[in-house]
Amino acid sequence: MVTKTEETQLNRLENQVDNGGGGAWEYLCLVKKLKVRRPDKVLRHGLSILNDPKKRSALGPDVWTLYEQVSIAAMDCQCLDVAKDCIKVLQKQFPESKRVGRLEGILLEAKGLWAEAEKAYSSLLEDNPLDPVLHKRRVAIAKAQGNFPTAIEWLNKYLETFMADHDAWRELAEIYVSLQMYKQAAFCYEELILSQPTVPLYHLAYADVSASSIGVITIARLMRNFHLYSGFCGRDTVLYTLGGVENTLLAKKYYASTIDLTGGKNTKALFGICLCSSAIAQLTKGRNKEDKESPELQSLAAAALEKDYKQRAPAKLPLLTSALKSLKTS
Amino acid sequence: MAEDLVLDTAIRDWVLIPLSVVMVLIGILRYFVSKLMRSSQVPDPKIVKEGQVIVRARNLRAGANFISPKSFRARRVYFCNEENGLLHVPKGQAQNAQAQMFSDPNMAMDMMKKNLSMIIPQTLTFAWVNFFFSGFVAAKIPFPLTQRFRSMLQNGIDLSTVDVSYVSSRSWYFLNLFGLRGLFSLILGEENATDDTQRMMQMSGFGFDPSKSLGAEKDSLDIIQHEWALPKFEQRAETVLKDLVG
Repeated sequence: MVTKTEETQLNRLENQVDNGGGGAWEYLCLVKKLKVRRPDKVLRHGLSILNDPKKRSALGPDVWTLYEQVSIAAMDCQCLDVAKDCIKVLQKQFPESKRVGRLEGILLEAKGLWAEAEKAYSSLLEDNPLDPVLHKRRVAIAKAQGNFPTAIEWLNKYLETFMADHDAWRELAEIYVSLQMYKQAAFCYEELILSQPTVPLYHLAYADVSASSIGVITIARLMRNFHLYSGFCGRDTVLYTLGGVENTLLAKKYYASTIDLTGGKNTKALFGICLCSSAIAQLTKGRNKEDKESPELQSLAAAALEKDYKQRAPAKLPLLTSALKSLKTS
Repeated sequence: MAEDLVLDTAIRDWVLIPLSVVMVLIGILRYFVSKLMRSSQVPDPKIVKEGQVIVRARNLRAGANFISPKSFRARRVYFCNEENGLLHVPKGQAQNAQAQMFSDPNMAMDMMKKNLSMIIPQTLTFAWVNFFFSGFVAAKIPFPLTQRFRSMLQNGIDLSTVDVSYVSSRSWYFLNLFGLRGLFSLILGEENATDDTQRMMQMSGFGFDPSKSLGAEKDSLDIIQHEWALPKFEQRAETVLKDLVG
């Protein structure tokens, strides 16, 4: 996690470096420390250091980690020649290194030579069966080939040992979602909520997965119609799901917690509340429902949505009001 | 106060400076020797897994109220059941760390290497200092000190009348031994400083037993009361939205 102060520091340094103010090495160190992904910048500034013999020798032994960083950034930018050169230099320096072997594997991957990369990783894993990076690379290979069942298999195998790795859980959850295996995805999101209970995005995703099919299809439609918050219109909006009253209630609760955690600023969660409430009303129609913990939540969410739209997209307001009205009457 | 002792400049040239230089050189030599002898440790998969299980169980305990009762119960059974629960340690299988240490020759070997690279040069230099430079004053610090510093600064001189600001050669050795860390971190890089005091702390902390912490985690997970926090969140969301809209 990147904290706010670190982010401002990073942005300040980035600005300074971009405008030729120096401090490239500090910037690269910070990028590496925070594990942020800025391949284009790393490639440009890293190469400017590596191509300058004076600057390069000033780094001393740190130059090798810079080579590693630049090679990975280069592969990220598809500059495979640069990456190859960097790896060649590293290989000359550390002929037997496993770390360099890993880089070579990644280069093979970048070229799309999956079988060779797989072979390279397997042979590296024999020496060091507990290298998490190698396991993750194998998952990445399977995923890049579109072979999701294999990716799931590798991930499960990895999580058997490294079960506290929440990034892996997240990856697995997303794969399950893309394969519409919502029960499994829900389990993964529960695991993520457990490991980081205050991250609203996990609550939101969990709610999505367990929301009723009717509700969420409508969310997807609404979002498409409005083209508004493009950030939310990612792959995770279109979810057909577990359905049922119980799960809808569950989803509503987690949308509510998302609202609480984001201070009511998450549009998708507001929509979710409206849709879940109406879905619940529909599903329990005629039955005497004791679940009346928060009767006002739906109307409040609708009001918040209207206010938000009025502020940020007044042109789309009629669309919203008609959609909300149809929800209420249906 | 008695009249000042005059120290021969030859002492400075032949004791004080050589002693410091030798200490620095030995420190550097030791760093490289220990680097050469360090074997790359292959972690035991079982130990890695146990550590991860503990982290995950701890997460479950901390965040239990954020998941539904059904999911919580399923997880608790997964961790704590008596047959194949992850946290369940069968009786008798819990070997203590001591036994484990003896059964694993690598571990003992590693410790011995560490000790060798630490103790041998130290004894040798101490013997060397004792043999050649024992029993005389090597330096004088430019400010007066109280009597309490006598044992620190005048090790090896049993004269109570010598002013405390004189430093005996053996004490100079000790001061160098413990005081050169800053210099080493300057020469060898931040983390590489050979820090004796820290190493000694590590030695005493040896003997951590993972199976015991597994059991402790199981107990605390067993007694935890699950109280779902999410229904409360609906009310909280309501107040949040009221503030937002109103």
